Amino acid sequence: MKADIAVVGSGLAALVATRTLHQAGRNAVLIWPGLSSLYFTYATIDVLGYSDLTTTRPVEQPEAGVAQLIADHPDHPYALAGLEGLRSGTTLLIEWLRAAGFAWQGDLGRNLLLPTAIGTPKPSCLVPDSMAAGDLRRDDPIVFCGFHGYEDFVPELAASNLSRSWGRGEHSVRAVRITLPSFEPGNLFTSIDLARSFEDTTFRREVASRIRREIGVDGVRVGIPAVLGLTHDTDVYSSFAAEVGHPVFEIPTLPPSVLGLRLFDRLRKHIQESGVEMIWAAPAHEAEVSDGQCRRIFLKSAGREQPIEARAYVLALEDTVDGALRAGVHSMVDPFFHEALAHHEMPTERTDESLFKPQPYASIGYRVTRRLQPSDDAGRPLAGNVFVAGGAIAGYDPVGTKSRGGLAIATGYRAAQEAMAA
Amino acid sequence: MPDTTTGVVVIGGGSTGAGVLRDLSMRGIDAVLVEKGDLASGTTGRSHGLLHSGGRYCVNDLAAAIECVEEGRILRRIAKTTVEDTGGYFVSVSEEDLAWEPRFVEGCAKAGITCERIPVEEARRREPALSRHVRTVFWIPEDGHLDPFYLVVGNVESARRRGAQVRTYTEVTGFLKNDNRVSGVVTRDIFTGEETTIGCQAVINATGAWAGFVARLLDVEVKVVPVKGVMVVLSHRVAHATINRCHKPGDGDIIVPALSVAILGTTSAKVPHPEVLPIEWDEVHHMIEEGALMADGVSTARAMRAYAGVRPLYDLGAEAEGREMSRNFAVIDHEARDGIAGFASIVGGKVTTYRLMAERVTDLVARRLGVRTPCTTAEVALNDREDEMDQLRHRPAQLGVPKPHGDELGLQALICECELVRPQDVAPWFKDPAVRTLEDIRRRTRSGMGPCQSAICSYRLAGRLVTERGLDGPTATRAMADFLETRWRGVRHVFWGSQLRQAQVTTGVHLELFNLDRQLMHDLPPSLAGEGRGGGFETAEVASQR
Ligand SMILES: Cc1cc2nc3c(=O)[nH]c(=O)nc-3n(C[C@H](O)[C@H](O)[C@H](O)COP(=O)(O)OP(=O)(O)OC[C@H]3O[C@@H](n4cnc5c(N)ncnc54)[C@H](O)[C@@H]3O)c2cc1C
Repeated sequence: MKADIAVVGSGLAALVATRTLHQAGRNAVLIWPGLSSLYFTYATIDVLGYSDLTTTRPVEQPEAGVAQLIADHPDHPYALAGLEGLRSGTTLLIEWLRAAGFAWQGDLGRNLLLPTAIGTPKPSCLVPDSMAAGDLRRDDPIVFCGFHGYEDFVPELAASNLSRSWGRGEHSVRAVRITLPSFEPGNLFTSIDLARSFEDTTFRREVASRIRREIGVDGVRVGIPAVLGLTHDTDVYSSFAAEVGHPVFEIPTLPPSVLGLRLFDRLRKHIQESGVEMIWAAPAHEAEVSDGQCRRIFLKSAGREQPIEARAYVLALEDTVDGALRAGVHSMVDPFFHEALAHHEMPTERTDESLFKPQPYASIGYRVTRRLQPSDDAGRPLAGNVFVAGGAIAGYDPVGTKSRGGLAIATGYRAAQEAMAA
Repeated sequence: MPDTTTGVVVIGGGSTGAGVLRDLSMRGIDAVLVEKGDLASGTTGRSHGLLHSGGRYCVNDLAAAIECVEEGRILRRIAKTTVEDTGGYFVSVSEEDLAWEPRFVEGCAKAGITCERIPVEEARRREPALSRHVRTVFWIPEDGHLDPFYLVVGNVESARRRGAQVRTYTEVTGFLKNDNRVSGVVTRDIFTGEETTIGCQAVINATGAWAGFVARLLDVEVKVVPVKGVMVVLSHRVAHATINRCHKPGDGDIIVPALSVAILGTTSAKVPHPEVLPIEWDEVHHMIEEGALMADGVSTARAMRAYAGVRPLYDLGAEAEGREMSRNFAVIDHEARDGIAGFASIVGGKVTTYRLMAERVTDLVARRLGVRTPCTTAEVALNDREDEMDQLRHRPAQLGVPKPHGDELGLQALICECELVRPQDVAPWFKDPAVRTLEDIRRRTRSGMGPCQSAICSYRLAGRLVTERGLDGPTATRAMADFLETRWRGVRHVFWGSQLRQAQVTTGVHLELFNLDRQLMHDLPPSLAGEGRGGGFETAEVASQR
């Protein structure tokens, strides 16, 4: 198969890169190596939540925070993508979300502070409208509402933690639970089952009225698990919130995160509807390079080997989750060039003794040139027409700074620009 | 005046102490068990869970082998639900192994171990996992899996129903004495630091590798050599039956299919202290390599974690070291030996022989107390009350057989999807004051023992700490973090392939989605996490129940 530009990846970076190419009128093919587990843990798009790994003070203005980060760390992927990459990528994504039927809020000038399922405030930049009412910069009291028999969001836990850290007085946060129509507490049901049911008007009305009755008072906002519709959140959310009669906000749950599914499923479908070709479940396993250029990449799909020939390539893989890196016992190897990106005598070297500290393995990835080309130790590109975006870039770990989404957008956008210029 | 009194205090909540507690209670003797961690948190919960047929010892330690044969048969009767009758293979893969065979066959015959040589092709048909390196195979029908957690909890619950008491996270720090007679113990609560005294007529020291430390509190010596062993857990059973190398017991020569996982073991290295158990990469690596010699699939299976235990090898004074030392146990009558009345120690042995060990030491102490009721633990089943074991833990994971009550699994709510643990399996334990960390719930239910290593169930369990135990959010969150952290310590040693990818889901959920790392930087109660022990939770309400 031949294409102008091939994008490989299943996360946000791959989607942004593909959209960028498509909007520029280029012929792109999106190669989807497999379902990424990020799908199930994604919710908001975090640009920069904390300026370093040890501070507890959230970044208030992500754009200014990123500018400072670029000034302090000229080799950081944000510096390679440039502030302009972040801005343009964000604008492109926000427009795309709107075109795809989402209602999201996005403004690089401020972070919202949203309570998580354990009741910890978390800074996020781009968020669905359905989460925004949880913003803790506002003062109105919060009622967390859970469902009997549903263990993936525990309102009592969230309320207890938040009431201590949020300092709006003891009675400003409380927890309630309601029984859902047609879900027996002893039975197995997941967020996805609930999300499907919420698309049903009768079900939704009944739940709304039970919540209204349970809460009783006025002047509160209601945080409920993010299960308000599996596909078309916008209508479900706004009609539900109206029926509850209080501002309502969704809180991401234990996996499967319906918010992640909604986002990725819709964007993926939308890009296909707009005419971009996708190749499914095809992990790449080889790049053919000659004269400093990548000529073809080979995919394994349904046991067959399928070559893809393009003028340029964007590798927008997310760490090891979707197979960007193969983590052997001693070496972490990339699937295209078979470069050993890291070697460890002992697997323990990849981790910190504490799960809650930065993990060395998380920053393993492709070394890149200033144009995001994968490079060797000496900084020479492995192939002049290949560009890397997202989690597979070496040297940073988005976990502690809460910056995975923003980095995906900025590098995805920038890699696409470079691929077009190549 | 001591704070409370009882007949006998049992120190140590491993298989030995649990067995002693039950034995005492069945002879009508009042007893309290004190354990400084959780039940089975010492060596017992860190064994392979091999129900020894005796085959491993029949050449070097015939007496131990015979004990295994007899006790194995008793356990199959009295503790049916803790035993899985897998049977076992003893396989030869080298010239040396082949040279060992005649001695093995002779040893089995002497010990009364059923042992059948089967042609390799036939063995492979039965057990396709046997590797191409395997040259000869013996079938030992009486090897099996013994669930150490279930066994300990089963013994303790049986004793509790007969009036015995249990105090976990309670360390014995001293003794009460009247002249040369022990009249009680001084204990300290690990979490609260609170000191209590328990008066009694006798104390039984069943602290395994720690027995020397406890004895030293009375200025007597019990020589126990702490010998570390490392094990690796694979995410599926790999083989139907246990597999042993047919040779002089050595490193990496056991594979035990244990419920939903397989355990590879083990190594042998003296350590300075029973709580200093570093896991070395060489040990992990070696175990996987050696295991792969016996069974295919070992090197390609998903390794989930590694852990270490410490053997309580009783030093009989011989020159022998490590594995050469006897697996046999010793009952030490400190009245006869050291002139200290009311104190006995029981050390050495195996999980497999716990009942016999308990019987011997209880015989001694009962005699001293003038109690003539004979031991009945070999006859009365652990689940002598209706369905006790089912209430303790259902085991759908085992062999994939449908659950006994015919529940439709697919429709039931689950707390832990990996190990199929239901809300009703965990619920009773939140009410038990002996349960003080989420690790304790894990040991009693298997929640968190599967491939995701608690990424999912830790949140649900933390939620229940708030809703069912009445804890506040910060305490429950700390317990969740400590649970994750304890699991992480084992995962780190096998950090490649699927388990590395899995870790990204864990950090994705807890650090990115929940912002747990920031929550931990705020005002959480300090972690009490030690090696293998999650931090404890405690509320005034629960403490007052004890
Ligand atoms: C690596 C390894 C693998 C093994 N595999 C098997 C196997 O497959 N099959 C088998 O049958 N046997 C096996 N064994 C042997 C078996 O595990 C042990 O012999 C047995 O568990 C010992 O039980 P115990 O109750 O005597 O000791 P433990 O289980 O260690 O119990 C002693 C308890 O005393 C507590 N304690 C210590 N000091 C104090 C104090 N001051 N106050 C209160 N409490 C205290 C400790 O916390 C501990 O929980 C294995 C051993 C090792 C090391």
